[in-house]
Amino acid sequence: MQMQAPIAAKARRPWLLIVPALLFLIVFFVLPLVDNGLRSVAGDAGEWTGARYVTLLTDSFYLRVTFETVLLSAGVTLICVIIGYPVAYFLVRKAGRWAGVVVFLLIAPLLTSIIMRTFGWQVLFARRGLVNNLLVDQLGVISSPLRLTNSPEIAVAALVHVLVPFMVLAIATVLQSVDRRLEESAKILGAGRWRAFWEVTLPLSMDGIGTGAILVFMIANGSFVTLVLLGGGIQTLPLLIYQQFNTTRDFGMASAMSTILLVIAVFCLFLQLRLVRRQGA
Amino acid sequence: MSVFSRDWINTALAAFVVLFFVFMLAPILVVIVVSFTSAGYVAFPIPGWSLKWFANIFAYRPFIDAMIVSIEVAVGATVLSCLVGVPACLYLARSRAAWANTVMTFLLSPLSMPMIVIGFASLFFLSRIGIGISFTALIVTHMVVCLPYVIRTVAGVYAGLPTSYEESAAILGANPARVFWHVTLPLIRPGIIAGSLFSFLTSFDNLPISYFFASASTNTLPVVMLSYLEHQFDPTIAALSTLQLLMAIIALLVVDRIYGIDKMTVAG
Repeated sequence: MQMQAPIAAKARRPWLLIVPALLFLIVFFVLPLVDNGLRSVAGDAGEWTGARYVTLLTDSFYLRVTFETVLLSAGVTLICVIIGYPVAYFLVRKAGRWAGVVVFLLIAPLLTSIIMRTFGWQVLFARRGLVNNLLVDQLGVISSPLRLTNSPEIAVAALVHVLVPFMVLAIATVLQSVDRRLEESAKILGAGRWRAFWEVTLPLSMDGIGTGAILVFMIANGSFVTLVLLGGGIQTLPLLIYQQFNTTRDFGMASAMSTILLVIAVFCLFLQLRLVRRQGA
Repeated sequence: MSVFSRDWINTALAAFVVLFFVFMLAPILVVIVVSFTSAGYVAFPIPGWSLKWFANIFAYRPFIDAMIVSIEVAVGATVLSCLVGVPACLYLARSRAAWANTVMTFLLSPLSMPMIVIGFASLFFLSRIGIGISFTALIVTHMVVCLPYVIRTVAGVYAGLPTSYEESAAILGANPARVFWHVTLPLIRPGIIAGSLFSFLTSFDNLPISYFFASASTNTLPVVMLSYLEHQFDPTIAALSTLQLLMAIIALLVVDRIYGIDKMTVAG
């Protein structure tokens, strides 16, 4: 009887274990999104309508907002790659015994709330903030404080601040597995430092850049707390959904915009899976 | 020449990394400093030190109410995510079936979706099925984004464990329930603790979902902080943020004390 235990464990349909999690997400994650999709095509009299999508894809205002959303995410992603790559390179190749400190400093900001970090940018650039104090009192460059908050540059800096650690960690993970000897062989064969980097190291770390870029782009696309508080006149889809919900209360339109955001997210997820699969192969 | 240029590049790289961390830490450090200001307004550098803004947190009733709601929701969503998520990991982390991979991708997919969309869509759906704006609705929607963290972390730990412990226990006569309770559970506990910590912090800091379920009795801390910030700009928010950071650091240290950060980062 006792000896049957392992056999019994195999026979007792262990796949039942996944049912609660699967069922939960189907009901409370998939169904709301399907419901949302249906609302975006429901007309006032219960008929189907594609009018909202026609508006979203033809009206110049909405087209600009969609374009600005994608442009902002792409810009933030690009800045994260440019800033993040040297840091990841330093972490993997140069940091040595400082590597632990670098990783700690990268992860520590993730413990702070999004409100705290946004507030930090407001403090730095407020009327009586650090930057204005430096410019007016210490350096005397200007006579009265500048209105620095509410500029798109600060909103972009704040987004980069939130997202760049993900990029650094993604690149560092791949860079770690790049064989240093390949780089050294290139140098022995006469390639200069820069050529060895451009033609050997950088191409080999492309997968890390890809993984990080998709992740950063995805999060940037859905972010709205930073933009609500730091504004800067940037109009994005999440911000517009927030406003439509708050003020205009055009829920059908907000649903349609949600669906567009969702399609972009699913596309990113698809790219991410392809990249992961390629790395696994 | 080449030695000179190598030194030059290394110095430049190190300087860049230092600047990078100034950029990363500056917005956080100024908030911590401002939370101790004696001034009645937000200014940096601060004119003097005081703890009055910390006292001010407790003078503003909505902050305290919201903090209690936030803690209850974060604990509830985390415990339920573990109850639902851990069994799934037990199967998925060991399964070699091709479809197991697909199921795993699906279970982790909420992390890739814009949270504002999840929040907006859930509000209408939950209202339709009669849950509406309620404490239950907050727990359920937070679970959607907490569950993937628990599953990812626990499955990561469990997949890295050899099967031999459980097999030995089973061969020695333990039934599946006893194998789970006495062998598997202790082995995956670091994963459960780490996953729970991620889950708790995710829920506690969530704004894009909680925002849609705001009401006098269901306002979470980030929601109240956002509405406070939209109308006032004073150091109370700084004090509250510093307090929150302190809580996160203590939680992390406690976990580190018990299990070690190394195990956590491996798990993550």
